[in-house]
Amino acid sequence: MSTETASNHISIKGVRDGLMIAISSLPPFDEVDHELTTELTQKRDFLRGSRVVLEVGGRKLSREQLLAWQVFMAQNGLALWAVLSMREPTREAARDLGLATRLPGSQMDLQGNGRPDLVREPAREGRHTAVSNPHNNNALFLYETLRSGRAVYHEGHVIIMGDVNPGAEVVAEGNVIVWGKVRGLVHAGSAGDTTAVVCALDLSPTQLRIADRIAITPPRRGGTAVPEVARIQDDQITAVSWN
Amino acid sequence: MSYAKVVTITSGKGGVGKTTVTANLATALAMQGKRVVAIDADIGLRNLDVVMGLENRIVYDLVDVVEGRCRLAQAMIKDKRLPKLTLIPAAQTRDKMSVSPSDMVLVCDQLREEADFIIIDSPAGIERGFQNAVAPADQVLIVTNPEVSAVRDADRIIGLLEAEMKGPAQLIINRYKPEMVARGDMLSIDDVLEILAIDLIGVVPEDEAILISTNRGLPIVMQNGHAPSSGIAMRNIALRLQGQDVPFLDLTARNGFLDRLKSWMGGG
Repeated sequence: MSTETASNHISIKGVRDGLMIAISSLPPFDEVDHELTTELTQKRDFLRGSRVVLEVGGRKLSREQLLAWQVFMAQNGLALWAVLSMREPTREAARDLGLATRLPGSQMDLQGNGRPDLVREPAREGRHTAVSNPHNNNALFLYETLRSGRAVYHEGHVIIMGDVNPGAEVVAEGNVIVWGKVRGLVHAGSAGDTTAVVCALDLSPTQLRIADRIAITPPRRGGTAVPEVARIQDDQITAVSWN
Repeated sequence: MSYAKVVTITSGKGGVGKTTVTANLATALAMQGKRVVAIDADIGLRNLDVVMGLENRIVYDLVDVVEGRCRLAQAMIKDKRLPKLTLIPAAQTRDKMSVSPSDMVLVCDQLREEADFIIIDSPAGIERGFQNAVAPADQVLIVTNPEVSAVRDADRIIGLLEAEMKGPAQLIINRYKPEMVARGDMLSIDDVLEILAIDLIGVVPEDEAILISTNRGLPIVMQNGHAPSSGIAMRNIALRLQGQDVPFLDLTARNGFLDRLKSWMGGG
């Protein structure tokens, strides 16, 4: 895919596994901000579902500015996952949001922008802010029942249309949503995200984990199952019915 | 020219009754006029010959065939009681690695023209022996008991079969005790199907007569006179394997007069 766009200061280009959006370093933030949001709004139906690498050159961007773009993109069906910047403070802000600041390998078309090597930078560990959005709206969708012995691990959210049978395992750094019965083991927020949730039409897992908490499902009170959401509340995993 | 259907009986968990089911289905099919070859794929732990009462007639076995020490026909033991039934026994002194999945496909392909059904008894487990047994299968029957661990293993097996694109497996629930289900002490048919979500091809009630028949080497379906319901259930599975639409036995526990009265009145 190669969609070159002619906006004054924004260029959107299809790369191997998503979009590379390059933003000129010169105009004031408000101007590029307006251009970017207009551009993405106009093309949202076409671009929807893409992973985005933002190439910002030498522009200084604060954590708040990056966050605003990240949220805007998420609202328009785009997943921002990396910010390439020549400035360390901007890279730092991006890392704070859980974004990558270097790309793995060097296959991406870089358009001759002066940037140092493109090796994967290990994620910083132990930074509380870094886990606030580790999954970048990246979700794995499975349209099947996970039977005993199946294990699914994913860095983002996991959505399953089907059941999670006893003996099956789902481990996600983000949320886990099951349109079906959960009887096996589910671990949401596996990289430490204590805000992760698990929802299911019938939530009675063998064991439920969110971040580093572990809960065991109490025996059913009888009656039919209702959809429930489990999350950490008051430092323990609590499931409440969905309504 | 008819062409045999290869049916593999497997379970994951051991001790759920694979061999008993295999022996009875093979026998029932032969009694119903089909040419049947039963193959024991449980190399190293052979049992099918014992349950079918053919142990003392073994000269060559499956491993001898695969390794070229005999012709296929020499390893086929004809059941003298039922001329259409033959058995290819497993080797007792070797292990699962002496046969490969492609060997099994080859053996079955050689048999296809002289049989209507090839019934393979799989070993427990999910390793080589299971893979051998399943490789040539056109249809897989999974035997489970109405208990949590057996159902868990059956679920695993179904997942593996799905991954191998072996087509939809069908389920046999064996050793079902209606009274225990009525008391809430055993998983019901619906409980099992809720987890496994595959087609049911038969439910065989728990029956002491099965144990006796197994020890005597006389499959229960062969017994004349009053047929125990376990034997009828097995025969019905054999008929369903031939595509017949046989209604399921009513296995609900009816203890007292009141229960019967209720069911007559349509409320039970």
